[in-house]
Formats: sequence, C-alpha cells, structure tokens
Amino acid sequence: MLGLAAGAAGSGLLRPLGLRAQPRILPPVAEADALVAFGHTSPVTDGGWTMAHDQGVQAVRKAFPRLRTVFVESVPYSADATRIFRQFVAEGAQMVISTSNYGDFIRDVSDRAPEVAFMECDGHAVSGNLGWYYITHWYASYVIGIAAGLMTRTNKLGFVGSFPIPSVYAGANAVLLGARSVNPAVTLQAISINAWFDPQAATQAGTALAENGCDFLCGIMDEPAYLRVAEQRGIKAAMWNTDMRQYGPEAYVSSVTLDFRDYYVDLVRARLAGTWQPEGRFLTLGCGVDRDPWGRTVPPEIAAQADAMRTQIMAGYNPFRGPIHDAAGRLRVAAGEVMDDALIYQWDWAVAGVTGLD
Amino acid sequence: MIDLLTGTLSTAVLAGGVLALAALGEVLAERVGVTNLGVEGLMSLGAVIAIITVVATPDPWLGLLAATLAGAVGGMVFAFATVIVRANQVLCGLAVTFLGLGLSASVGHDYAGVPSPATFGRVPIPGLSALPVIGPAFFGQNLPVYLIYLVLPGLAHWVMFHTRHGLAMRAVGENPAAADAAGLPVTALRFWYVTLGAGLAGAAGGYLTLTYVPVWSEGLIAGRGWIALALVIFAGYRPFGATLSGLLFGLITALSFVGQARNWPIAPAFLNMLPYLGTIAFIIVPVVVWHRMRRIMAAPAALGVPYHRDVR
Repeated sequence: MLGLAAGAAGSGLLRPLGLRAQPRILPPVAEADALVAFGHTSPVTDGGWTMAHDQGVQAVRKAFPRLRTVFVESVPYSADATRIFRQFVAEGAQMVISTSNYGDFIRDVSDRAPEVAFMECDGHAVSGNLGWYYITHWYASYVIGIAAGLMTRTNKLGFVGSFPIPSVYAGANAVLLGARSVNPAVTLQAISINAWFDPQAATQAGTALAENGCDFLCGIMDEPAYLRVAEQRGIKAAMWNTDMRQYGPEAYVSSVTLDFRDYYVDLVRARLAGTWQPEGRFLTLGCGVDRDPWGRTVPPEIAAQADAMRTQIMAGYNPFRGPIHDAAGRLRVAAGEVMDDALIYQWDWAVAGVTGLD
Repeated sequence: MIDLLTGTLSTAVLAGGVLALAALGEVLAERVGVTNLGVEGLMSLGAVIAIITVVATPDPWLGLLAATLAGAVGGMVFAFATVIVRANQVLCGLAVTFLGLGLSASVGHDYAGVPSPATFGRVPIPGLSALPVIGPAFFGQNLPVYLIYLVLPGLAHWVMFHTRHGLAMRAVGENPAAADAAGLPVTALRFWYVTLGAGLAGAAGGYLTLTYVPVWSEGLIAGRGWIALALVIFAGYRPFGATLSGLLFGLITALSFVGQARNWPIAPAFLNMLPYLGTIAFIIVPVVVWHRMRRIMAAPAALGVPYHRDVR
C-alpha cells in the first residue's frame, strides 16, 4: 500500500492532498500561449445563465485576441465533470473556469493540477489554486421585491424555484423582505420543480400559483415559461438571468440580470500577469448583477421607489437587517444586526411569510 | 374553489393530451403485434421539428404536420428493422429512443430556448364552453385537444372494432400465422400501422411544443414517452382507454403542482414523484384488482413476436 502510494506520487500522477494551505503564486503567461477553459452547465443558447457566461467568454476573446479559449456545454453533475475538467488540464489550460458549482468534481482535478488556476462560480471552497465567485443577486431581488410589494393586489407572490438550496432561499427571502418593507401584508408561496430548465414544469408551477391567487410571479429559472403564463393571465412576473421582456411585454416587470464580462476580462488579465490569487469574490449590485430596466407596465413612481433602494444599496446600505424571523416564527437575526453577504450566501431557512420551501 | 377546480382540470386536459396522443399511437402499433419502445425518441423528434417548422413558417398546423411526418419517418426506420428485417423489437425500440433523443438534441441545438412563434389558440365550442367547471376545461381548448380526445380515438375505435379492416388488423396482432393463412398482408399491415403509430408519437411531441410548452429544450419530453407506454397497458390496448388514462394522468401531474401551490402538508419531492408512482400503479392495479380484467385487458397474443412465415 505504501509502495503503491509512493510509486503513484513519484510518477507525478497523484500528489498528496491538503498539504498546500498557502496560495500559490502562478507565474505569468504570454497571451499567445494562454488557454482558458470554461465548463458550462447548460447550452450557451439557453437564453439565460449560460448565455450570460458565454457573453463573458466573448468579452475575453475580444479583449485578448491572441489568447485561446475553449468551452464545453452541458457539463453533467457527475464524475463526467471530473473527466471534462481533467481534459482541460491535459489540453494545457492555464485557467479553468466552471460556471456552476461542481464541488468535489472540480476539487479532485484542481488538487492534482496545482499549476492551473481554477475558478468556480457559486463555489464554496478556496484552496491553493481554486477560488470562487458569485453574484450578490439578493440585492437585485430585494429591489424587485419592493416593486412586487407595491404592485400586487392580492398580496400573494408566487415563486418558481428549482431546489431548496441557498441561492433559492436567498432569492425568495429577498423578494419577500423587499415586498414587506413597503407592504407588510405580503406573503410568498414557492414551488420547487427540481430543475433549472424545465419549461413544462415551470409552466405548470406558474399556472398553479396563478390559480391559487398569486398575481406576481418570480423565481429563478433559466427560461421564460412562467412569464408567458403571467402574460396570458394578465398578471405580473419578474425574471432572472437576462432581459426576457419580449416573451411577455405586458407582464414583464424586471429581471435579475447577470453580466460577467468585466469580471472575466479582469480575471484572465490577472492570470496572464501572474497576479491571480485564489479567493472568494462577490460581484456587487451594479457590477455583475443588477435589476433590468423596468418593464413598460411598471408605474414610474413604483420604479422610482424601488430604484431609490437600489441607489442606497449601491452606496453600501445593507437592507437585510434584523429583526428577521424564520417561517416557524423564531427570531433568526436580532434587531440591529445585519446579514452580510457571507451569511446570505449560506441562507438555508425561509423567512416568515415564505411558504413552500421548508 | 371552483376556479381552482376549473384550472386544474384545464391543465390536466392540456397535459394529458400529450400522453393520450402518444398512447393512442402505441395502441395502433401494439394491436398489430409490434412493441415500439421508441416513443420517447419519436416524441422528442416531433417536438423539435415542430418548433423548427414554425420558426420557418409560422403556421401551427404545418408544424404539427411536420412533427407527424418526422415521427412517421422514424417509425419507418423502426418498422423496417422490426417488421421487414424482423430484428428484436425491444432493442430496436431502445435504439430509436436514443437516436431520437440524440438527433433532436443536435438538430435543435440552435433552437434551445427559442419560444415557438406560432401556437394553437383556443377555439371554444359555443354553448358547451359556458358550462361550469368542465366547460372551459373540455370545450374551451384548442383544436388539437378536440382531435386528440374525440376525433382520433373515435376514428381509431370505429376502424378497429367496427370494420373488416380493423378485424384484419387485430388478427395480425393476435395470430399472424392464421391471419397470413387467411390471406391477410401481415407484413404490410404491421409496417404501416407501426409507421402511423410513430407518426402520432411525433405529433404528440409537436402538440407539446405548439400548445402546452411553446419552447424547445433538450430533455423536454422528460420521460413522457415511457409513461405513454405504460398507459397503453392500463388502457387495455383500446383507443378510448388510452385517451382516458392520458387524462387521468394529466390530472395527477396537475395535482402535484396544485398541492405545492396550496401548501398541502406533503413534501414537494413526494408530489413530484406522483406521476411516476401513478405509472407503476396504472400497470399493477388493473390486473390485481379485477381478475376478470386480465382477459379483457390482455395484450395482443403475438405482441413483441416477429412473424417469420418461412420458419413456421
């Protein structure tokens, strides 16, 4: 056993794990020699999440014309992901960016390729050569929530979610807290459809919510199915990822829009210059994530009221402050305390008024 | 409450239509003795072809026609392999599923997420659509819904059980050797009914993207082809049985979302599981509960068996 381990380590295939606490400084790379690889979770034509990342890839190409980029679409959440990331390393990539959370599947590869820089969107681990980045989408959701609270007539918001994970908790909670800041009577009903991209299930979920009295639909979906439901039924909807107003111009309120272009260019520039450091990084409101320009049916005074909060947040204000109770009525954030980004990033409970997530 | 009932039923009719149509197509194929396990792939193909067609020419009927033809072409490939070459039906069916899924994914790559520019609008039937609850659900739908629930199964039932041709068709599925001895064209009947059934599976996919979920994405069919296969057994290989079980199944699907929206104290994971539990129940229940049903609902005797005239 010992001999095997020593042999494997000696051959350079396997390296001892967990011994490199110190971040490595990776040497600079000439632009013409560099290869940056992207692993996407869905096709670049999905019109949502991966399309936003692909726009970032294109910005990188434009900023560094001599650099090579490769990407793989629809990387599965399985050992196949490990194989794909390992392939990137074998091809000689100096930087690998995964645009979704692949957890241990990427960690397995990064630990064995210490000379390659890895970045994981929505990741949580930082190692010697692995970092993560994420968007603080909850601020945009909060701003949209203010509009929702002012626009709803039935005081019932509907939320089409995928899985009960922190991003979805943060999204639903932020919308409700935003809405309650202007209209304390609002409640939010969530449905989990077990997918990020399932137009059929999202349509059914949106329909069921509308029939249950919700007159404002929101959620985190990679496609516009529930916006079309809202359009047909004459209610409102707020979306995610991109501007989707063409699919429901009357119903469209806004969207949590993503923009990774500047960040990816900065990231690649740092790697080329040899200044890249593995770290966790939140992209703030206005720098990577924002609310989309308001839909044409949003009254100007409501848009102005929501935008006032957006301006405040961009100036550094954090609206996630106590007292915040969870759905069971327990006090989770005491009066005077604020939830910082790191805490919101781990959000795993529903605030009072949100049902259907716990 | 009434609104909720109407809405749920309306969703059930729409969602069930996909399954009803695909199951009807499979009834045709299985009645002549061929198990076509390729329904999932054929539906997928139909769904993507329908979208591609309406993107080119925004007419939903053209889209539906193209989806039917795409399914039929896929069915011909399958029928050639299983009826004429007489290869193993299970393996060929699985191959058609993978072929259809893969082909539709690559053909539809550039159309993923593109909403369908033309869909079927509602055509309420005057008078009937004003009935409470069932009116909007059954008589306030689009034209394909009426086709799927009434016209097509009616036609299939009449041909199957009230014409000589239908007798010949069923004979081929029960005892092809006897049918052959009686001078019936076994190979031709099998070939064309399998093709027709596959065409309906393609149409079911097209119906999905032209009415219910007007967008293409990989994995859109999400196992509905397999569920349709199970429904054929529950339906006792009868056209109206296929329609009704499709509707019942649509209701189960709709309920799983209503349950979440109304906060029933049932875990969402369980509610999402309902359609699949339903599938298992649909296969088991008829044979366990009603013993007499075993005979009435029995599969065609020669189902799945290739017919070799020369080795008889």
